[in-house]
Amino acid sequence: MNEQIAQERHWSAYKERGSLFLMRLTAFSVRVFGRRLLAPVLYLIVLYFFVSARSARRNIGQYQTYLAAWSDHAALRPTPGSVFEQFMAFADNLLDRLDVWRGRLRFEQVQLIDPTGVRARLLRSQHGARGEMLVVTHLGNPDVCRAMAELSERVPLNVLVHNRHVAQFNRLLGEAGDRSMRLIQVSELDTAMMMDLSQRMERGEWLAIAGDRVPLHDARRVTVDFLGHPAAFPQGPWLMAGLLRCPVNLLCCLKVEGHYRIYLDTFLASARWERGQRDEAIRGWVQRYADHLSAQCLIAPRQWFNFYAYWQPVEPPAKKEATHAH
Amino acid sequence: MNALQQEIAQLIIDTLNLEDVTVADISPDLPLFGEGLGLDSVDALELALALQKRYDIRIASDSKDARQHFTTVASLASFVQAQRDACAN
Repeated sequence: MNEQIAQERHWSAYKERGSLFLMRLTAFSVRVFGRRLLAPVLYLIVLYFFVSARSARRNIGQYQTYLAAWSDHAALRPTPGSVFEQFMAFADNLLDRLDVWRGRLRFEQVQLIDPTGVRARLLRSQHGARGEMLVVTHLGNPDVCRAMAELSERVPLNVLVHNRHVAQFNRLLGEAGDRSMRLIQVSELDTAMMMDLSQRMERGEWLAIAGDRVPLHDARRVTVDFLGHPAAFPQGPWLMAGLLRCPVNLLCCLKVEGHYRIYLDTFLASARWERGQRDEAIRGWVQRYADHLSAQCLIAPRQWFNFYAYWQPVEPPAKKEATHAH
Repeated sequence: MNALQQEIAQLIIDTLNLEDVTVADISPDLPLFGEGLGLDSVDALELALALQKRYDIRIASDSKDARQHFTTVASLASFVQAQRDACAN
């Protein structure tokens, strides 16, 4: 990996392409024009993105190369066509996300793959059982949390995000009549935030957080093997789980043969570390999470929507640890 | 060591799972971080959560004061006492 890639823009610098502004604009346009009319426009936008964003093309090519080598599937090796396909899958994904946000993607249309009974526990939280944590990824459709909220039947779901536009998103949700899902902005772990989350969990609320993106100014990261190469993952979700001493489940939603499938997997019965073994414990969990993610990439190889340089093993300069305390 | 200090020392041991440490080992003036007991910022967070739950107090996040309260068991005990008195009034 050369220096140029290492100095690639951070994902947050992309200003959440297809995020708030696009959500608003498209939500409005879909209402006015309908999905069928909007789809060509969106395809054009993504086509422009494909043509103009050389680094994004290279990053997707790198992902496809690593996936092909890791899985030993020569058919997955990148070609100009396969990279383009992945961009188009993103356009498709954006349209689907709009449907999700508008409540058009109903739970009945989604196939649930839940071998360990995560949903049963979710429903138990209606009757006072303590909440749990869901770790989501940017593979497939992470906005499916919205459908999850429906699936949870009034069990409140708090989605922790690094986005600054939380208030606006919440208003958008409110307008859509969704009261069971709430976005909470997290920047650093602090006592007030942890206390709030802990109380929510005691009340039976669930927390969802992305496990595959490292926040810009967060030095708490851990580098593990992902598709055969070192990649940095955030420690935050796992520290949080350990502090809350809660069970952790993985949530991923992939489109397979034109239909969405929600994969729910119990990951940790209770996040706890032995004294002095915290870093090792977290590294172990993150490696296991990365392995799980790799396997899911194979189910839907073109739905990896991290367009920035994902494999950046460079450790950031060590931050003064104590600045995070209290 | 007064009763509250003992209680807090025990809470530290239980919360952080310090198996080979006893209350007697944690003198009220032993620094909790660095050289002393060797806690770090995540331990502090864990401890703060436990204290808030146990004593029903609020610990303001990221204030300089909060950090000072966490230097020793003695400073923690006087902080908890002050918070309780404030609530009682």
